[in-house]
Amino acid sequence: MVEFTDEIGSYCGRLLADLGADVIKVEPPGGGVERHTPPFVTGVDPGPDTSLAFWVHNTSKKSVVLDLDSGDGQAVARKLALTADVVMEDNPPGWMLQRGLDYHALHAAKPQLVYTSITGFGQSGPHANYAYTDIVGQAMGGIMTLAGEQADPPNIIYGQQANISASIQAAQGTLIAVLHAEATGRGQQVDVSAQEALSMSQETAMQTWDLQKHNRARTGEKGMIPVQLPGLGIYDCTDGQIYSYVLAPGGAEFSELVDWMREQGLAEDLGDEPYASICPVLNMAYLTQVMTDPASVGPKIQILGHINEVLRRFFATLSAKEAYEVGQRRRLLIGLVSTPKDLAENTQLRARNWYRKLPVDYLDRVIEFPGPPYRLSVTPVQITRPPRLGEHTLSVLAALQG
Amino acid sequence: MTSLPLDGLRVADFSWFGAGPIAGQTLATFGAEVIRVESETKIDALRVVHPFAMNPDGTFKSGYNVSGYFNNFNAGKLGMQLDLNTKKGQEVGYRIIEKCDVFLSNFTPRVINKWNLRYEQISAINPRIVAAYSPMQGLEGPHRDFLGFGAVLTPVTGISHMSGFPWRPPIGVGTNYPDYVVNPGHTITAVLAALRYRNKTGLGQLVELPQIESVVNSLGTAVADYLANGNVQVRGGNRSPIAAPHGAFRCLDDPSSVGSIDRWVAISCRSDREWRQICEAFGQPGMATDPRFSTFESRKANEDELESLLGEWTKIRRAEDVMALLQERGVPAGVVQTSQDMLDRDPHLKQRGYYRYLDHAETGRAAYDGPAFVLSDTPGELRWPAPLLGEHTMDVCERILGMSMDEIADLLAEGVLV
Repeated sequence: MVEFTDEIGSYCGRLLADLGADVIKVEPPGGGVERHTPPFVTGVDPGPDTSLAFWVHNTSKKSVVLDLDSGDGQAVARKLALTADVVMEDNPPGWMLQRGLDYHALHAAKPQLVYTSITGFGQSGPHANYAYTDIVGQAMGGIMTLAGEQADPPNIIYGQQANISASIQAAQGTLIAVLHAEATGRGQQVDVSAQEALSMSQETAMQTWDLQKHNRARTGEKGMIPVQLPGLGIYDCTDGQIYSYVLAPGGAEFSELVDWMREQGLAEDLGDEPYASICPVLNMAYLTQVMTDPASVGPKIQILGHINEVLRRFFATLSAKEAYEVGQRRRLLIGLVSTPKDLAENTQLRARNWYRKLPVDYLDRVIEFPGPPYRLSVTPVQITRPPRLGEHTLSVLAALQG
Repeated sequence: MTSLPLDGLRVADFSWFGAGPIAGQTLATFGAEVIRVESETKIDALRVVHPFAMNPDGTFKSGYNVSGYFNNFNAGKLGMQLDLNTKKGQEVGYRIIEKCDVFLSNFTPRVINKWNLRYEQISAINPRIVAAYSPMQGLEGPHRDFLGFGAVLTPVTGISHMSGFPWRPPIGVGTNYPDYVVNPGHTITAVLAALRYRNKTGLGQLVELPQIESVVNSLGTAVADYLANGNVQVRGGNRSPIAAPHGAFRCLDDPSSVGSIDRWVAISCRSDREWRQICEAFGQPGMATDPRFSTFESRKANEDELESLLGEWTKIRRAEDVMALLQERGVPAGVVQTSQDMLDRDPHLKQRGYYRYLDHAETGRAAYDGPAFVLSDTPGELRWPAPLLGEHTMDVCERILGMSMDEIADLLAEGVLV
């Protein structure tokens, strides 16, 4: 595979490279945006070979530097692209055409070629040439309007999720087109729009408008529940936070949480009335009733508030990890609000040896790195360090001429 | 109808909620025959939650078949009812798996175990099967049986810690975000790679997608930065290390946006050239050379002031007008669109025909997400709307499993096909 990608499509190439594809990344002199995006590996000069923003989307690839604004560079790029089964690119529509590297030019020379274009808005339509960055994708794709507090601007989701979503959709489309090309000899173009790639992540908002003609809006910490109920939401622990969803179905009921508090001697007066008879009915049915008719809470609001305060005092005595792991062992729906450090130390990820050690010879270091999204039993994913800028230019071009 | 690239592929879709069924729908959209196995004895909760279709009198329709949440993830599948809590149900399940190329499940390891659907069990029946399991924590390990779905996964995987404004608690992102693209998309990527390997070698395999691993892998640089540098990143709201201004800016309210009248436009500025364009677009060319904002470093140093200045410029304009004004000058800008915008107002999505409208027996005509990638020669298609519960049970039993009418009648009488 040959890719002409930067921020939008790099992760697509990484997925396929980690699965074993021979992915050659063609980069401009000096490198693209990702190579110059912080954070960088500390202790060495920041530069194109030390950007972690580049690393997380570009493992297991080769790097070739070509100046695609020169006729020579374009000619070499064309020759290289025609050696590939798949070409991937994420440039604005028309950019590859100006350089003779567009789908039609390459497909005419090699009919079995799969050519994947990953852009903000796709290859056609009135916004196809709109300027795009990740935040524009998250805005136009309908997910930003759902995130945040009403008092604040809508929030983006961390981690360039418009680009990530476009890349993940592109990886699937590319592989389907590859299977088709291998079966029929016919390649085709895969057109991915980041806006469309995100649409499914509106959850129920699209269908809510379609069926009920109102828009889901951002509801912040309270989520879809207009009243603070005990056991629902964020709780502070000694060293961090947890998110509790105890009233939702699938886990143990609220009374299990009260049992745990009692065992720790921290249930306070929850065994006395009026609390004792309310705790056992705090379940999904009650939650549904409150969601449907918030006014039904009525004077109970103070009782519920007291139960929640006792619960807050209980969680405040535990470490966040303890609240998560002990709570889950009691089948309570509790999640740790993991920090990056928590994830690096996560009991499950460590027990399963998920993190990979990447030897980075040119830094004389072995750097630990997040593992792959999946485990394949016969063909496990292999991750090698990302390439230095232009590391394979000479070898790849020599092979091309040889 | 032109042939689709996955014609001839058959999929046993033993999944529920979001991440599993969406994976199956992608395969169905590109031609696979996907048998969605479900039971009224363990109903997919998405069948019974909002948004429900409405009656003409404004009341909600009821029953198992009218939720847009469920329907949008299950178009183009065959709906099969089967109670896997019964021994006979499990035997029928094996007969389905025997006829399939791919098995999909996102049930917990406990349920997989109870229903005897472990990989070693189903691969004994069908060694060529590509079997994909996507439990929250994985099939092994000390947290294997931890509970949760997207709402719990969002904090556990670091999305909550890393998203939103730093002065707010980790409130999450308003949805069960990982369920809809990241997890089903990674699952299908691995399944397709495994199918390609099977084409070459004849070997099936086990594909395991622990949802926590799938999500943390794609969580930007947060974890890599800690592992390499010991740096614990915190959430930074809408700002970017390589752009300023970068955020959502309030525009004129729009009373016709039902339930969400406040309007915002996202703007990202990565260069001095783009900043000049922004200033000129708003008729404020002097601000381009104002020393507080003329370089990236100065814009970063004065970012609070910069954002309130830009907010003053946007708040007297319509979000659509700001987008057009800036896009004319090549500056990345986009309306923070509601679903109403996406379905009814966005001329681009309309022209591309992204959303598909299908006639469903109980909901009536309803919108579905279309294929999220377009293949030029073999574009996917939603061939029919989501199945009613059990709509194709007879068809699957007769046509695919080759059962006689007597056998089907017995299974119905014994409560297996429920």
